[in-house]
Amino acid sequence: MEPIISTKGLKKIFRIGKVDVPALRGVDLRVQEGEFVAVVGPSGCGKSTLLHVLGGLTSPTEGHVLVDGNDFRGMSDADRTRFRRHKIGFVFQRYNLLPTLTARHNISIATHIQGNGFNPHRFQAVTSMLGITEKLEHRPYALSGGEQQRVAIARAVICEPKILLADEPTGNLDTENSQIVLDMMRELNRTFRQTILMITHNLEAAAVADRIIRMRDGRIISD
Amino acid sequence: MVNRMILANVLHRPIRTAVSVLAVAIEVGMVMLVVGLCHGLVNESAKRVEGVGADILVQPPQSSFLFGLSQAPMPMKVGERLEEIPHVLAVTPVLFVVNSVANLSVIYGVDMTSFDRVSGGFVYHAGGPFQAPYDILVDDVYAKANRVKVGQTLNLLSHEFRVAGIVEHGKGARLFIPLATAEDLQGVQDRASIFFVKCTDPAYGDDAAQAIHKLLPKHSVLPIKDYLSLMTSNNLPGLNYFISAMIAIAVAIGFLVIFLSMYTTITERTREIGILKSLGASKRYIIANILREATLLAAVGILAGYGGSLIARRAILAAFPTLSVELTWDWRFYAASLALIGSLLGAFYPALRAAQLDPVDALAYE
Ligand SMILES: Nc1ncnc2c1ncn2[C@@H]1O[C@H](COP(=O)(O)OP(=O)(O)OP(=O)(O)O)[C@@H](O)[C@H]1O
Ligand SMILES: [Mg+2]
Repeated sequence: MEPIISTKGLKKIFRIGKVDVPALRGVDLRVQEGEFVAVVGPSGCGKSTLLHVLGGLTSPTEGHVLVDGNDFRGMSDADRTRFRRHKIGFVFQRYNLLPTLTARHNISIATHIQGNGFNPHRFQAVTSMLGITEKLEHRPYALSGGEQQRVAIARAVICEPKILLADEPTGNLDTENSQIVLDMMRELNRTFRQTILMITHNLEAAAVADRIIRMRDGRIISD
Repeated sequence: MVNRMILANVLHRPIRTAVSVLAVAIEVGMVMLVVGLCHGLVNESAKRVEGVGADILVQPPQSSFLFGLSQAPMPMKVGERLEEIPHVLAVTPVLFVVNSVANLSVIYGVDMTSFDRVSGGFVYHAGGPFQAPYDILVDDVYAKANRVKVGQTLNLLSHEFRVAGIVEHGKGARLFIPLATAEDLQGVQDRASIFFVKCTDPAYGDDAAQAIHKLLPKHSVLPIKDYLSLMTSNNLPGLNYFISAMIAIAVAIGFLVIFLSMYTTITERTREIGILKSLGASKRYIIANILREATLLAAVGILAGYGGSLIARRAILAAFPTLSVELTWDWRFYAASLALIGSLLGAFYPALRAAQLDPVDALAYE
């Protein structure tokens, strides 16, 4: 079967002044639809950069990237934005909720930006699976870290993205809340066959995934 | 949804919102009041000239329809020749003495008998006609504004005048002195700045004006309706520049405050913009959101400006009853349009910057 993510010789080089900083030095990766993949590796090895490239937040410097049939070569900024809008859901370490909006509106703004209309059944299914139906009228400051992260996950998956990209989603959470969030990611993967790529520092967290990818110095060292 | 987010943003920083709204309100109020005052001034003084009751105004060659800025006055003999023209019922000479150029305030030196024949006579609220050379008549508006009573003295043009009477307003000037006194003050003899000509019937106005023009080809001969159509603030060059300058300042205030307000807003919300971008928000989406926010601020500011200018108008009229302020619907619309366009322009560059933020950098912003 055709993989949903496939990269070959993917490089990303940042230019700071006259110095080139290679963050990705040739990544070859294939992920099948419905897989739950954990990415681990030391700080600065390029995990976040890989996630940003795959999610279309930034463009690759070199190499092939094919995500759900979209070839990143020759994609403009606007093309990547559209791709992200329809195919990708992001979850970040710092929750990144909009502080002035309630949980409900933080979730529904994703459907508004996507523009395909609000689906109340999907909303109901996602929020009850994540256990946040009681908290929907709260603003982020009135939610615990674990609750905020669950709202962020709901926002990321409300539009049924092809791929959920999570960058250390449990990095700011205590063990108990981490476990809840990890269980929910697992659950999402099982019930909706959600493809997930999750970065983590924590090997225990990585253990919930089907597959663990190790990175070092901008390359994948074991799969 | 988006409206909710914009409203939340606007309420999130109440001081910023209040200052932006205030700036737009000042902009709108300033435009409306400046224009309203100028229009009011011009229209009101035109109406008073019309109130003299003449059908034709005759002034020296090359004179302006702005009284008081006129050329050297004409000999009195001109008036006698005007009386011989067919259909002319009465002619009265008036010598202008400029009291204050700033508010188009001109004192009329009048010849009572002929002035009464053209105008139908003063209506006295108190007192009566001149009895001595340094007697003065004031209209009721002036009297009320300056608390003038019959019999008191007024210090004008470095002379002391005794108030002989208070007359109903609307006949040319607010202040009247005897013609001879005006001549003394101006250092001229048997001269008039203007002749007010009344016809036997207003219908003969054009015929008579043509006849006068034939007689005095170099003089300015204006039928009253032409005078009224000239007497708009658009025709007054100085006033026009003044109005334009005030409008430019007002628009600049609104533009700059909205610019700064939106600029600091997008800096403060860099992360939020990054979040929207990570959700797939397009540049257009982000620009539209920021412009909508500016539109909301402008709209509230415009309404506040309307309210403010109504209050200011009332305050101005209470403090200065001789002024008049005309807040026209036209200018309500122009002031609102200027404020809206200025705000959108002010918000545009910040919006563009927000749209061009790099999503990864924006998300990493502290
Ligand atoms: N915008 C940028 N400009 C310049 N260099 C960058 C930029 N983003 C990342 N880098 C560099 O690229 C390398 C990889 O960074 P990346 O954030 O992908 O690491 P990471 O594996 O996610 O680390 P961590 O576990 O600490 O989050 C680092 O050396 C980093 O300094
Ligand atoms: Mg990282």
